[in-house]
Amino acid sequence: MGPMPERPKLRPCVSSPSEQTNDFVSKARSEETNTLCSLASTLYLCSISQTKPFADSLQLNSPKSPANMGQENHHKRSTSGASLPTSNARGRATALPRGRQIQKTFNNIKITILCGFVTILVLRGTIGVNLGSSDADAVNQNLIEETNRILAEIRSDADPSDPDDQQPFNPNATFSLGPKIDNWDQERQNWLRQNPEYPNSVRGKPRILLLTGSPPKPCDNPIGDHYLLKSIKNKIDYCRLHGIEIVYNLAHLDVELAGYWAKLPMIRRLMLSHPEVEWIWWMDSDAFFTDMVFELPMSKYDAYNLVLHGYPDLLFDQKSWIAVNTGSFLFRNCQWSLDLLDDWAPMGPKGPVREEAGKILTANLKGRPAFEADDQSALIYLLLSKKEKWMDKVFLENSFYLHGYWAGLVDRYEEMIEKYHPGLGDERWPFVTHFVGCKPCGSYGDYPVERCLSSMERAYNFADNQVLKLYGFRHRGLLSPKIKRIRNETVTPLEFVDQFDIRRHSSESKEVKS
Amino acid sequence: MLDRCLGMRRVRQIQRACRHSTVTFLCLFLTVVVLRGTIGAGKFGTPEQDFNEIRHHISAARARRVLEETKPDAGTNTDSNPNNYATFDISKILVDEPPTEDEKREPNAPYTLGPKISDWDEQRRSWLRANPDYPNFIRPNKPRVLLVTGSSPKPCENPVGDHYLVKSIKNKIDYCRVHGIEIFYNMALLDAEMAGFWAKLPLIRKLLLSHPEVEFLWWMDSDAMFTDMAFEVPWDRYKDSNFVMHGWNEMVYDEKNWIGLNTGSFLLRNCQWSLDILDAWAPMGPKGKIRDEAGKVLTRELKNRPVFEADDQSAMVYLLATGREKWGDKVYLENHYYLHGYWGILVDRYEEMIENYHPGLGDHRWPLVTHFVGCKPCGKFGDYPVERCLKQMDRAYNFGDNQILQMYGFTHRTLASRKVKKVRNDTGNPLEIKDDLGLLHPAFKAIKLPSS
Repeated sequence: MGPMPERPKLRPCVSSPSEQTNDFVSKARSEETNTLCSLASTLYLCSISQTKPFADSLQLNSPKSPANMGQENHHKRSTSGASLPTSNARGRATALPRGRQIQKTFNNIKITILCGFVTILVLRGTIGVNLGSSDADAVNQNLIEETNRILAEIRSDADPSDPDDQQPFNPNATFSLGPKIDNWDQERQNWLRQNPEYPNSVRGKPRILLLTGSPPKPCDNPIGDHYLLKSIKNKIDYCRLHGIEIVYNLAHLDVELAGYWAKLPMIRRLMLSHPEVEWIWWMDSDAFFTDMVFELPMSKYDAYNLVLHGYPDLLFDQKSWIAVNTGSFLFRNCQWSLDLLDDWAPMGPKGPVREEAGKILTANLKGRPAFEADDQSALIYLLLSKKEKWMDKVFLENSFYLHGYWAGLVDRYEEMIEKYHPGLGDERWPFVTHFVGCKPCGSYGDYPVERCLSSMERAYNFADNQVLKLYGFRHRGLLSPKIKRIRNETVTPLEFVDQFDIRRHSSESKEVKS
Repeated sequence: MLDRCLGMRRVRQIQRACRHSTVTFLCLFLTVVVLRGTIGAGKFGTPEQDFNEIRHHISAARARRVLEETKPDAGTNTDSNPNNYATFDISKILVDEPPTEDEKREPNAPYTLGPKISDWDEQRRSWLRANPDYPNFIRPNKPRVLLVTGSSPKPCENPVGDHYLVKSIKNKIDYCRVHGIEIFYNMALLDAEMAGFWAKLPLIRKLLLSHPEVEFLWWMDSDAMFTDMAFEVPWDRYKDSNFVMHGWNEMVYDEKNWIGLNTGSFLLRNCQWSLDILDAWAPMGPKGKIRDEAGKVLTRELKNRPVFEADDQSAMVYLLATGREKWGDKVYLENHYYLHGYWGILVDRYEEMIENYHPGLGDHRWPLVTHFVGCKPCGKFGDYPVERCLKQMDRAYNFGDNQILQMYGFTHRTLASRKVKKVRNDTGNPLEIKDDLGLLHPAFKAIKLPSS
């Protein structure tokens, strides 16, 4: 029995012998702290840290009541040793209760922290938890910001490495596409004679170069680039089937002639660099071939140098600004074309010239809204004002859709599939479907987006079906990117090749004609 | 309180028991956890696996949020203008017809690319005889080549991915125009079972059989760019080979290294042998269990291959390494020029190349092809930082484009710039000017003159 004179109010209900109570309490405490640290090493550390406060309290108490302590220690080792100091501590509580409590609390906290730390170490060893992962969110945020910054930079017009070379407007300088050339026909004939391995006609067909292009930077929205990609694939397919070369322009050769005027310097440059090319065919990026079999009747244009889709009455009688379309036209490679380009270009240079020219064109052409000068209106104005000089070599084609305005065509594709066949090129099966006004590469078009994009998808698939026919597939509907098989695989594929290859059929029909 | 009801001793006992049991369970739990951590518990996994799974889930969710957030804010844009492209969702307009009955493949039948053809060489020869206007050789050493590339018919997940696809196809159009090669750009998935990197196999077979006039089919990935416009492939080096890939014999046959060759840019002759190797190549491709199991086999058999489903490149390494006697003599592993050039070691050296060398070499001095493996610009995530990939693709594109523009007297202002500047003044006699590289009227494009 130990001395139990005063018991603090902490344990009012304890009536059993204090030593038993204290036994149990301290034993439980030590067991708890021990097991929480789980591994042998942690147990060792904890036991070390545990015995320390007890040792402290032992030493503290021993001078006070050595006789009691010695007896108790002798009998009950650590547990009783634990009990005695506490009981002694409690006995002394009257003198220093606060201090002892603080020290005990402090020791407990120390133990807890140490064991917690060791647990984390152990967990780290087994699982590999890196408790620095709370900054994953910060990393994520950085990733978003970084990606946004990169995309904005790619999309912007500003070139960090370029000096700003804005040239001051000089009203006295007249714009020119290049030094005047006067004898191009002669030069070209000489060159062709000297280079027979680069003839200007192949297998009876004049050599044609298809020129198309788009702005150098990404479209204002991603879907625009996707339709540019589909458009170029559509042109690649047509040109492969008809032996036409493609040049895709992504550069502004002349800073002043940017936008729709950019085609002029490029056409001139290509003509002068490729004398073996007989015709240069400009086609807008928003124009799709929808008749893969139809071939241009080039023999019809032997006496002409410029082939445009248009209507004479709209042009001469009504002076309409949409009398012809410069989204799809052909230029012969000759002196006449160089001269026309020189006469066409002056309304183009960016800035006050283009603005002023726009006003003139709006005033003179029927139905033209007010905006800066565009190449189509400028050409119409030129053909009207200098009719005698130019019109005799210009062919206004409207027997087939060299340019086909999309709105009247796209809804009739199913009807066309049912009633007609490719190769006609006209309103029964349009050669080209041109999506004027849709402007998928910009932010806003002149028509609702859903209408434009679904129509472009239909036109693209309508054309692609004609290409896939050779391979035995077609699209699952005119709005579907997926394809389905329409012809089983065989062990003699060449019979179908003979039947369906567009190339061989067009050249055969050509031979029949000649 | 309880102690008043049950008696002190009882309460004390209960409390003690509770404490003991708590301690016991805690011990037990910790022991199990620690043992699981050290030894592992078989299919119940280890804590590391758990953690990886959890992390993967969280990061996948986070990752989706990252790229959804970087897309133009459709939700926050209050502009409901129907003419505005930014707020439009393309999936609204795409519609598929439902599949018909005869399309369903028998599930137990082994996969084949098509019915076995055994006499393709004879069929092709008689067709060429019947069609002299479509010879398979344009000139004695110049076979007719079809370059095949492609991309998905759906818009890219990355907002600028389609723009880079446009630049990539323009780059290929330029090279092929200068070298007299035709292009087929594929945007159709011919066989749903062979989706992903395997989609090229049914396509290649279909094109070989539909274009008998084509002598060589050149497959090129959409993330590969031509960077040497003047280099002409040495066709007569391959007159006895049917399959040309960039790679090293030792790495494929001896080491069985999964990157011993590259199937991002290769040449395949149009002949019976090629149809046979396509049939031997295809079995690891079909999506699902077959591809996953094959992936495990390939990881086991090939050196350094990470764990993922079977891809066409590893399958080709495996096929060649295990079937050298059957296929090896007609396969040419080219490494004297970069038929495929890994971008990581090339893109930083462009300025050095411009200073020291010239186009037409095709090798490490001026690579023919710079292939952006791992960049995946069309997808959400690549294996490399986005900025590095996109900026370097711009540089590689401009590096190649400069060689085309110099024909017309222009060049890019810098390798990073979209703008061009004139480097040759226009003259009144344009035909006297020869471009430096001779690409305007090169010999390899000249038409064979009729012998009569």
